[in-house]
Amino acid sequence: MADIDATPGPMISLEGLRLTYPGGAGPVEVLRGLDLAVAAGETVSIVGPSGSGKSSMMMLIAGLERPSGGRVAVGGVDFARLDEDGLARFRRDRVGIVFQDFHLIPTMTAVENVAVPLEFAGRRDAFERAQDALVRVGLGHRTGHYPGQLSGGEQQRVALARAWAVEPDLLLADEPTGNLDGETGQKIIELLFELQAGRHTTLLLITHDPALAARCGRTVRLQDGRIVEDVAAAPAADRVPA
Amino acid sequence: MAEAALTRAAAVGGGRWPLSLRLARRELRSGPASGFRGFRIFLACLLLGVAAIAAVGSLAQAMLDGLEQNGRALLGGEAELRLLHREATPAELAWLTANSGRLSETAELRAMARDPGGGQRRLVELKAVDGSYPLYGALATEPAGLGPAALAERDGSWGALVDPALLGRLGLEVGDRLAIGGLDYRIRGTIRHEPDRAGRVFSFGPRVMVALASLPATGLVQPGSLIEYHYRLDLPPGRAFADWRKRLVAALPESGWRIRGLAQAAPGIQRFVEQVRLFMTLVGLTALLVGGVGIANAVGSYLEQKKPTIATLKCLGAPAFLIFRAYLWQVLALALLGTLGGLVVGALVPLAVGPLLSERLNFQVAGGLYPGALALAALFGLLTTLAFSLWPLARAQQVPAVALFRDTVQRARRWPPRWAVAATGLAALALAGTAVLGTSDSRLALGFILGAALALAAFRLAAHGLVRVAERLPRPRRPDLRLALANLHRPGAPTANVAMSLGLGLTVLVAIALIQGNLRQRVLEELPAEAPSFYFIDIQPDEVATFQKIVGATPGVVAETRVPMLRGRITRVNGKRPEDLQIPKQVTWVFQGDRGLTWRATPPEGAKLTEGQWWPADYRGAPLVSLDDEVGKALGLHPGDHLTINVLGRDFTVEIANLRTVEWADLKINFVMIFSPGLLEGAPHQDIATVRLQPGPDDALGQAAAEDALERRVTDALPNVSAIRVKEALQTFAQMLDSIAAAVTATAGVTLLAGTLVLAGAVAAGHRRRIYDAVVLKVLGATRADIGRAFLLEYGLIGLVTALLAALAGSLAAWWVLTDIMNSPFHFLAGRVALTVLLATAVTLLFGFVGTWRALAQKAAPLLRNE
Repeated sequence: MADIDATPGPMISLEGLRLTYPGGAGPVEVLRGLDLAVAAGETVSIVGPSGSGKSSMMMLIAGLERPSGGRVAVGGVDFARLDEDGLARFRRDRVGIVFQDFHLIPTMTAVENVAVPLEFAGRRDAFERAQDALVRVGLGHRTGHYPGQLSGGEQQRVALARAWAVEPDLLLADEPTGNLDGETGQKIIELLFELQAGRHTTLLLITHDPALAARCGRTVRLQDGRIVEDVAAAPAADRVPA
Repeated sequence: MAEAALTRAAAVGGGRWPLSLRLARRELRSGPASGFRGFRIFLACLLLGVAAIAAVGSLAQAMLDGLEQNGRALLGGEAELRLLHREATPAELAWLTANSGRLSETAELRAMARDPGGGQRRLVELKAVDGSYPLYGALATEPAGLGPAALAERDGSWGALVDPALLGRLGLEVGDRLAIGGLDYRIRGTIRHEPDRAGRVFSFGPRVMVALASLPATGLVQPGSLIEYHYRLDLPPGRAFADWRKRLVAALPESGWRIRGLAQAAPGIQRFVEQVRLFMTLVGLTALLVGGVGIANAVGSYLEQKKPTIATLKCLGAPAFLIFRAYLWQVLALALLGTLGGLVVGALVPLAVGPLLSERLNFQVAGGLYPGALALAALFGLLTTLAFSLWPLARAQQVPAVALFRDTVQRARRWPPRWAVAATGLAALALAGTAVLGTSDSRLALGFILGAALALAAFRLAAHGLVRVAERLPRPRRPDLRLALANLHRPGAPTANVAMSLGLGLTVLVAIALIQGNLRQRVLEELPAEAPSFYFIDIQPDEVATFQKIVGATPGVVAETRVPMLRGRITRVNGKRPEDLQIPKQVTWVFQGDRGLTWRATPPEGAKLTEGQWWPADYRGAPLVSLDDEVGKALGLHPGDHLTINVLGRDFTVEIANLRTVEWADLKINFVMIFSPGLLEGAPHQDIATVRLQPGPDDALGQAAAEDALERRVTDALPNVSAIRVKEALQTFAQMLDSIAAAVTATAGVTLLAGTLVLAGAVAAGHRRRIYDAVVLKVLGATRADIGRAFLLEYGLIGLVTALLAALAGSLAAWWVLTDIMNSPFHFLAGRVALTVLLATAVTLLFGFVGTWRALAQKAAPLLRNE
């Protein structure tokens, strides 16, 4: 953390963000100039049809992808100043990610999966903290199980524990209930918001589910690589102009 | 319960290991479930290559140790002295008796053995032994327990022990009489094992053992006869060989002994073992290099499967180098496993093969573990793993984290980082360096490594070319051919892997087949066509007239040459002893034994002088010598330089008059040194003659019968003259050649086996894709025959291109070895090469077809539902 210069401001700041992929049939414009600011502790849902650029925007915010133009800053850190390993360290220390497909490492037990980012950070208490995180998501009794031995809901809870274990400033969730049945998905969402509220973490949630989107303080709609709507759920004072 | 789980989890996943090791351990722990199935080929390739090198190294060391441990028996004593043409003088014997423990004398010569009752005769290796023979080891006989006592004169006959093969050849039995020279012996038994015979790799005939005391009565001991006298002895207690030798040379400086200690008990076998070890190690290394392709494939496809895990780790904040290290540890752990497996197999080989070899080599091959040989094999294995896996490993660390989210747009294949390219290069250099430093002939090893690397690159390029051609060819109308061509160049096609994996192994096989075929043809067809039919040795000067009369009266004799000969040894070159000279490898043979010497007034027919002049025909001045051009050039000698030759215990110094080219390969009588007349005539000598028989079509006798008749007439009239049938000697040599070739081919087979493994891996890797193709084609109405034909065509094309290139590369290698190293002509033997080409195509078709057959059997519905 000490090696990253941060400037005060919003938790997420996107300015004129563009993303273009070179393709066989000509360049594909995925994002066409996004401007967005998200304050610390805010909960924001990103909605829009498939191919509108939701996941690409999240990848840029996670530092997994370099923009073709514009600027990304998270927690006051300008990503342009970080190399690939610098970005990896930034994620390790400050960002948690929950995927639709869970992306647990199949060769590691639940507790090892949760401990991995803590181990990357050199935390000596990685396993104790991972254990605590699993207890918090209700899986204290399944720490030694491999992902293949867990149900989909349990796997997503492990993924949640992994994302929370590092106590991130920013949590990114890409359709976290997309692969779960309704009831299990509901439980996961309850858990997600409970954890968010506990640490007042900034949450960026991609979803197709309007009800789930409505649980966030703010909803940003994307279409064809542009933000077409940015509304606060309620009260109106929570709105942040696009 | 939670605490217990935590403790367990921490124990397996946490601990104090560095993070990369912890990650590697977690992946390895889950075994086949996590994609290690593909590593079966990795392990098999490594195991095979390491086992081959470890086995060759261990076996060679076991043989060398066996030679050392059996040194006394092989040498026949703690020291051996050898004299040619003459026995030790009383003064010399007195010195030996006074300065040794036990002493045993034997004489060895070639002679004709005959059935006194019938006409059968055979060239034999005669050994005359004294009562002390053997000082070490035991003579095994049938009936058991016979020794020198059985050879003594009894009931008016001297006794003989013979090789059982001689009895069959002459139609004799134990108890019958056997004539040698002018003496009839009584056969008292057969020899099963002769302790001091192992040192000889090649012999002209079966062994006959008689008493030394009987030898004079045979009439074979004539002045200048080609007889070797051996004196085996025990050193005085506490006296080291080197010290004893120094005292001997000081006391009897001009004796001209050839002196051997235990370290040189069987120098011929020692050299042979060293050479076979070098060659086999290099062939094993080829297997390892071919296996390297399999290693790279296995690592690549394992990492391909691990892409999601790698991307997840990156999302969670893992730096690229951590990922590289974590997977490097895994590969190294598996390499260790494969290497250990190979070492176990390699270490066991001497135990399994040792007894067989002991029987054939006539000495006990040592058993045991050879850490040096095993360490070298392990080093080869680990370096090969690194050289072939660093590249895919470095590329794995470049897997972008974003790969988790989607397979967005196809990205261009990037080169690994520069440090990884450098590390791969370093590993390859270390591998080549180990090969060069770890083997006895650095130049050959380097040539071999470069050749193998070039061949691998050539096969890669050829495959690339085939892919490009397949891409550019107009689409054929036949659907099976169209599909086959498309399969050759589709992304992920096995074309390059198949070409590289099979290519190198086949190249080695083609080269060996051509070298063996050429040598065989030379020895069994070309040489007999131009070589003499007979060498007649030990013709006394007073027998020359009789000999010439017999030969002159024999129909069908087309050529006869006869020269006087005696043997001598170079003891000094320009005043320096051979041991003080830097003697190039290719001419060490000149100093290793006694050389034939002759004299002539005029140059031999067809001789070409490269330096200096021939002496005038009536020259009678100070002695001059004409030296073989190759030997002279290698030693840096020119006309005017001096050689000192020891003949019959006396040193003569002569001046080199000229250098002359000698065609050794034609089996005519050739000499390294030819002297001017005047020096050697006075020494006891004998004549050696060659005779070439070629009966005309009208002659009543055929070739074999004509040869039999001439042999009979000469040896009946001159019992002390020995006839060496060149064809028989060449056949014996060809048999030896065949045994060596069989061993070499077996080792080269390991290379092909490694190639087959890699091929199997490549086919297996594409299997899922192949099943999918087959199912979709079936859905679209293709019959199984259509699909089968397409796949057969695909593999047939790859096999054919690979085999053609292997034929070319193998022929080039064989041409180089034959013309440059062996000085033998090269013929392209189309039949042998075609056989190899067919074999290659058959192997690829077989493997391709096995994979296809399974693919064809796949039911369409379940796969389509899954898709």
